[in-house]
Amino acid sequence: MSIRYNSISIFSFIKVLGLTLVILSFSCEDAEYELDNPFDPSNMDLDPPALFFHPPEISANVGDAISVELYGLKLNPAAAAHLDIRYDWGSVTVDSVVPGPFFTGTNPPMEITVDEQGILDVFIYYLPDMDSDQSQGGTWSIATVYFSTISTGESELLYGPNTTLRDENNALVTINDYGSGYINVE
Amino acid sequence: MMSVIRGIIILHLVSFCFSSETTKSVSMRTGNQLAVLRFEGWAISDPLTEFLTEELRETIRELGIFQVQDRGLTNEINIFYPRKKDYWACWSQECAIDLGKRLNVNYVIAGNIQKKEDNEFLISGRLFSVDMETMLNEFAMNSSGLTDSLLLEMKKMAYNVSGLPVPDTLSVGTDTSEVAITGDIDRKREWFKLPSIPTKIKALMMSTAIPGSGQIWVHRKYPGYGFMGTEATLGLAALISYYQYNKAWGGFEKNYDSYQDGTDPHDLEGLRPKVIQYAADSRRYNSFMKSIRGVAASIWIVNMAHAYLVAPSDDYFDGEYFFDLEYNPDVNQIQFNFNF
Repeated sequence: MSIRYNSISIFSFIKVLGLTLVILSFSCEDAEYELDNPFDPSNMDLDPPALFFHPPEISANVGDAISVELYGLKLNPAAAAHLDIRYDWGSVTVDSVVPGPFFTGTNPPMEITVDEQGILDVFIYYLPDMDSDQSQGGTWSIATVYFSTISTGESELLYGPNTTLRDENNALVTINDYGSGYINVE
Repeated sequence: MMSVIRGIIILHLVSFCFSSETTKSVSMRTGNQLAVLRFEGWAISDPLTEFLTEELRETIRELGIFQVQDRGLTNEINIFYPRKKDYWACWSQECAIDLGKRLNVNYVIAGNIQKKEDNEFLISGRLFSVDMETMLNEFAMNSSGLTDSLLLEMKKMAYNVSGLPVPDTLSVGTDTSEVAITGDIDRKREWFKLPSIPTKIKALMMSTAIPGSGQIWVHRKYPGYGFMGTEATLGLAALISYYQYNKAWGGFEKNYDSYQDGTDPHDLEGLRPKVIQYAADSRRYNSFMKSIRGVAASIWIVNMAHAYLVAPSDDYFDGEYFFDLEYNPDVNQIQFNFNF
């Protein structure tokens, strides 16, 4: 068997060098991302502190049960809220309202709802405990409203002018912006 | 992952570098380094003296008792400490041991070839132990022929130096018969033997596989350890960076997936800064790794070039490998050895 060492050496050297260069040119991946989740409050074009509906758009069929969260964005600490919700009462009806975690401390919040011809008034109170007389604020769900669809049509959800939040000293809590919601019943 | 790929490459290189040395499995080497100084020629030509000295080196090397230092390395002493040619008449114990220490070997052979009469030669040699600083043996042989006979005598001297009995056929045979005898003793599996690789290429390949190993192999230990240490330090730094990067990347992937799939504004508001932070961390560590990679690659290439340059440009250096795959008959296994 006649093999020239030069051929072997050069071939192997080139092979090794090539593999080495491949390894050297290999690098770890750089993190690429897009923070475009539509439910991200930063993408909602709201000026905090704000109130908005989550989800902002709902499509449903007649007879379906749907729910919408009344959400606070970067709210300051508050002890009570009056949420004035406007909806199309010919298209949907309110089944119930359940308090969210915003006013939930050691004790569950107290809640009163008044539903009258397309105007839903939700009164929620923080029940003081040994630690605090009001909620800590932040971005949390204040309450969840459960609707039933009764006829086809488009219904807009709005926060009415009576919507207010008050702190433990009964002072108004600033709200800069209000979001709107949309229910499409097919 | 990088370390696994690098491990595979190193294993591949190691297996290639030593594939041509599988005959070491039957070697009788003791690990003792031997330098054969060029014999002094009295009334015979320089080329013939050099040729006979090289013949002695080759035969001792083939017998496998000593690890014979390559001619190029042995003669380097003449470059570092230039003297007159009769410097090689290093006949005294002090001179031989001094040279042995400079050459970093355990044994030294010095000798001379004298022409007595027309066709009569006297070959004298001395074996010195550098470690014990003493002369171990002295040999003298008479030859009545010219080149062929001198070659025979040098081979006989190689047997004497190695402590092996001189075969009868070598005593009475011709030059042709010697080849057969040498082949019998060699016990090498010729069918598996690959062509030898020149020292420079071998050193280059070793340093390509493990930075600094080629330099260490050719007895340039300080640069070798320097390259090895530098690359090891950079490798460690890269490993730590990779660990940090991996951690950041894991955090990024986990939080970004949660962000993309999430629907709760409260959760999304918390995930957003985490995604940004982990992404920034992973980019920072990746950038650091790229910098280390660039520096390490540059040093690696310099190390390869250095290994090639410092390796003796000779025939086939027969030094102790920095790392070695060798069959150990005692445990019936192939073992991976390091020689520091």
